[in-house]
Amino acid sequence: MGLKGKPLGYKLSALWFVICGLMATVLRLLPLPAWDYNDADALGVGIFSKGHLLGTDYSGVDQLSAIIHGTRISLAVAIVSVFFALSIGGALGILAAYARGIVDAIITMYFNVTLSIPTLILVLAMVAIFASPDPFNPGYTIPRILVLIIAITFVAIPILGRLIRATALSWAGREFIVVAESIGVKRRQILWQHILPNVLPAMLSIGFLTAGIVIVVEGGLSILGAGATPGSSWGSLLARNRGDIALTPHTTFIPVVVISLTVMALNYFGDYARTKIDSRESRI
Amino acid sequence: MSELIAISDLVVDFDTKRGTLHAVRGVSLNIAAGESVGIVGESGSGKTVFSRATMGLLRGKRVHRTGKIIFEGTDLRGLDHEQIREYWGTKIAMVFQDPMTALNPVRRIGSQMSESLVKRLGLSKEDAKKRSIELLTQVRLPEPELALLKYPHQLSGGMRQRVMIAMSIACNPKLLFADEPTTALDVTVQAQVLELLADLRRDMGMAMVIVTHDLGVVAGYTDRIAVMYGGEIVELATTTDLFANVKMPYTEALMNAIPRIDRKRGTSLAAIEGMPPDPITIHTGCAFAARCPYAQQKCRDEHPELVDAGNGHLYRCFFPIGGK
Repeated sequence: MGLKGKPLGYKLSALWFVICGLMATVLRLLPLPAWDYNDADALGVGIFSKGHLLGTDYSGVDQLSAIIHGTRISLAVAIVSVFFALSIGGALGILAAYARGIVDAIITMYFNVTLSIPTLILVLAMVAIFASPDPFNPGYTIPRILVLIIAITFVAIPILGRLIRATALSWAGREFIVVAESIGVKRRQILWQHILPNVLPAMLSIGFLTAGIVIVVEGGLSILGAGATPGSSWGSLLARNRGDIALTPHTTFIPVVVISLTVMALNYFGDYARTKIDSRESRI
Repeated sequence: MSELIAISDLVVDFDTKRGTLHAVRGVSLNIAAGESVGIVGESGSGKTVFSRATMGLLRGKRVHRTGKIIFEGTDLRGLDHEQIREYWGTKIAMVFQDPMTALNPVRRIGSQMSESLVKRLGLSKEDAKKRSIELLTQVRLPEPELALLKYPHQLSGGMRQRVMIAMSIACNPKLLFADEPTTALDVTVQAQVLELLADLRRDMGMAMVIVTHDLGVVAGYTDRIAVMYGGEIVELATTTDLFANVKMPYTEALMNAIPRIDRKRGTSLAAIEGMPPDPITIHTGCAFAARCPYAQQKCRDEHPELVDAGNGHLYRCFFPIGGK
């Protein structure tokens, strides 16, 4: 994928994704300043301080290092839950669109029922029930991140599934599907080899937009105390530092800026993918 | 000639919000092996529904199909989807009207062509590729090796229709439906495609049904012609007999509507007045009575049955042209 001739927003988004990718993989190996609460000079210093590029919070935690180490969990929650929601929702949506009849009715009913459950309450409840210590086995709890990913996936499946069903529906009625049937192609093959490749670009575009939403949702859940372990992701970093906004405002703003940049980049990619699809469709 | 398919009293109804739509109202047609039959009619005459219903491509709760479709001794109507799928492609195949929408836009020609070759005929990938090239050569597509790597939008309409034809004959069907195969094509390409279909039919010994609204298109390429109107066959005869001794006023009107080069300058093209009948109404009289220049009271009151003029020339008219 060359960058030449691409719009500026696309280039900046791509650049930000590269930075995120580096933060999630190699940058965390850098010798970043360790947490030193004995160093009184490094408690709650602002950005561009000596040794602390993005400053520290009141406990002396280096913010640059916190952001870099939070990347992996923030992105993992978004990517993994969107991946599973797209796969499951996509499979159900395409199946519903092609099979129609009773299969469609059941899948659509499942979507509608899940959509009717208030998202926030469901996720809060799931985290509260599954991610709290088991009284009979206190040493073991299901990792919060895992519960969070499952909960968000569960909520995202009907939203993505309905969108994909609608797209697949417009493809399932096309003539080439009848043509494929008329030369004896099996239904399962038609589903995966004729409808899926046509729906895939739209799924990709929806996926980018959803990933942005998931990162924001994860931040929101953190503020309610149901997100990732405090300080382990961008959202939970923001949640932990928000009480200190009057004293060390940069500790609140930095995660906000990072989240915003990521969401903007994701949305931009999603939009770009959509215009690509639209222009491709008009050529067909 | 041995009989390949015997369709008797085929009725196709659709449930719609306005009521039951009678698309095909009792069509009987026998086609011999290797024969070429033209089905001619205007939009809404039921010709496309007839061919799709015969193949069994129409499905859903709102489609009702009665009658018999005996193909080589088996009634296709009694088969479930898996069983009828065994017939599609290998015994009955169809060339569709619009080559622009009939190919999957995101898959290369080669992968679409080899799909049925690999899955139906059990060929290996290399063999399927070789066979695809053979087929594309057979349908006279220039540079078949390159075409395999192309996407449908990179081909012209005529080329796509050739690919479509190649795909439909890939498994040597015994009966090929060509549903308005040339309607979406340029006039110059139309003749080439029809010529190609005629040659393929002869070489492969398959029967062919050409569905069209243009009587001129089928005249040179068919043994027999069935004229459809309002969901019924209104005239059925050998091609030469039909043009020589037309019986049904509707057929005559269709013939008059063909533009001719020997017509005097300044004369306007003969069009058929009025609209085709509403497919929801049930014909009380003759379906064509409202537009027929020869219509009498009897035509409006009684529904004519198909009459044999001898020599197998069937027509549905009380007052045929040239008398009974």
